[in-house]
Amino acid sequence: MRKVWAITLNTFREAIRNKVLYSLLFFAVLVIVASRAFGALSVNEEVRLTVDLGLAGMSLFLVIIAIFIGVNLVYKELERKTVYTLLPKPIHRYQFVLGKFLGLTLTLFIQTLVMAFVLAAVLWSQGAEVSGPIVRLMVLIFFEVVVVTAIAVFFSSFSTPFLSGMFTIGIFLLGRSVPDIRAVAAKITQPLLSSLLEGVSAIVPNLRYYFVTGADIKGQHVSVNGTFVDWGYVGTAAGYASIYTALVLLFAMALFSRRDFI
Amino acid sequence: MPAKVHTEKQSMSQSTSTPVLRTHNLAKTFALGFFRKKVHAVRDVSLEVKKGEIFGLLGPNGAGKTTTLKVLMGLIKPTAGSAEVFGRPAGHIVAKAQLGYLPESPYFYDYLTSLEFLVLVGELCGLRRRESRLRAEKLLERVELSHAANLALRRYSKGMLQRVGLAQALINNPQLVVLDEPLTGLDPLGRKQLRELIAELRNEGKTVVLSSHILSDVEALADRVAILVKGRMVASGKLSELLDTRVINTEITISSPPEALVKALAAHDITPRLVGDVAHFTLEQESATDEVVDLIRTHGARLMALIPRKESLEDVVVRQAAVVDAQSESPNAQTPNAKTGGA
Repeated sequence: MRKVWAITLNTFREAIRNKVLYSLLFFAVLVIVASRAFGALSVNEEVRLTVDLGLAGMSLFLVIIAIFIGVNLVYKELERKTVYTLLPKPIHRYQFVLGKFLGLTLTLFIQTLVMAFVLAAVLWSQGAEVSGPIVRLMVLIFFEVVVVTAIAVFFSSFSTPFLSGMFTIGIFLLGRSVPDIRAVAAKITQPLLSSLLEGVSAIVPNLRYYFVTGADIKGQHVSVNGTFVDWGYVGTAAGYASIYTALVLLFAMALFSRRDFI
Repeated sequence: MPAKVHTEKQSMSQSTSTPVLRTHNLAKTFALGFFRKKVHAVRDVSLEVKKGEIFGLLGPNGAGKTTTLKVLMGLIKPTAGSAEVFGRPAGHIVAKAQLGYLPESPYFYDYLTSLEFLVLVGELCGLRRRESRLRAEKLLERVELSHAANLALRRYSKGMLQRVGLAQALINNPQLVVLDEPLTGLDPLGRKQLRELIAELRNEGKTVVLSSHILSDVEALADRVAILVKGRMVASGKLSELLDTRVINTEITISSPPEALVKALAAHDITPRLVGDVAHFTLEQESATDEVVDLIRTHGARLMALIPRKESLEDVVVRQAAVVDAQSESPNAQTPNAKTGGA
């Protein structure tokens, strides 16, 4: 485990020094400016807007960063030939993939924390506070990003960054639309197309669990301020994310263990 | 092949332990590109490296040296044949724990300092952080990079990266050190230092395998070599066995040759090249040397240099490459076995 941790820390350190964190600054400015601008347009709704914009911004930024770094994560090691130095060390190949994944997850976790603080600060400046539901939604956002990271790492373990990026974005979009795909599949009478859509919705992760705004869950329409998202729901969603991530990583490790490093 | 059997018996009696490295009929075929075009990087390589020796892997670019080494490092899986390190299949974690590998033109993490990188590599070898740091500092001293220990690796020159690469290969105090083209990209001083370091490693009882296409580098260092040409091992053994000890030709330099001498030489089919009042010529037949020297002396010219040229490793490779070329043109191509000593 010490070996995995060494790779994790190294990945984290490289991401930090690679100035990934500048994106946080951008996020902060965007949230502050946007909430001020839109807040001025909507009397008495400033706080709700800040929460909506802030959470949507967090989710979008984190997913973009996860895909952007994730698809390059393994590929860069091959391109730069660093893999030739590390893999002949007494480590298993799966430890390498796991370490890289955990390093990126750690980076994204720190980013989530910082973004959460930025959002909290803006809310406090508007005289509101960060309520329990908002914290729970932030946790959900993080778990969604973990799943996306795993998918990006999976593709990057055998494909180029461009293709991996396309695939990951595709799966992300499909994942966010799982309930819609299922609804369409139920309505379609053409059996082949219907079962194809069913299949797709079964394979891609149901990311709608993690971005509940505007979704219908348990027959209820959810707004961000909806308090029904309890810790039990968050726990289930986190469990689902963990299992899905573990499976995808297993595939990534298996593929990575089999390949040749020419 | 009785000669081969003989040498194998000899090596058995010299050391009963398993060889440090062994490949048997190793082959690797890549399927590259969209059309999965087949590329035979390694066709048939069987070699054995014994404990404590410096082994040179030689051959022109594209001969399969790096692929062979990568198979042994567990980076590439062989298509056919076997590769063993310390008696275990290549890439086995126990084997990897005892070896250090310097890849060809190594490149490391841009944003790490060399000290951080070496500490990381040490930890991957199972060292604790504190110990890893101590070793890293010592090794940076050994490769003369202490002054740049806290400089990010992206600011390093190629020669400096090569030294970092050497340091990372040694961090676990390995019994086997594998260096892929270690002298490429080094300046003359760096090359000298590296040669000294390799000699030190040998004195410490370590086994060193190095590949190169620059034959003189290996010639000066290696106890035994294997020569690869187009993915086949065309020769292997001690250098003294591989090199033809006969004199190929003799280069002679004389100063201010009188007209009469030039004429006399012309009678022997020799036309000297004149540069100022210095004349150079090459004598193809060794037996004629005495006669020609007598001519020079009787004509009162001064003999400046007489250099008998023996076959160099370069000549062996060129000779073997020609053999492989000729054989690959014939349909029933077989592994040329011109001089396969005890591998």
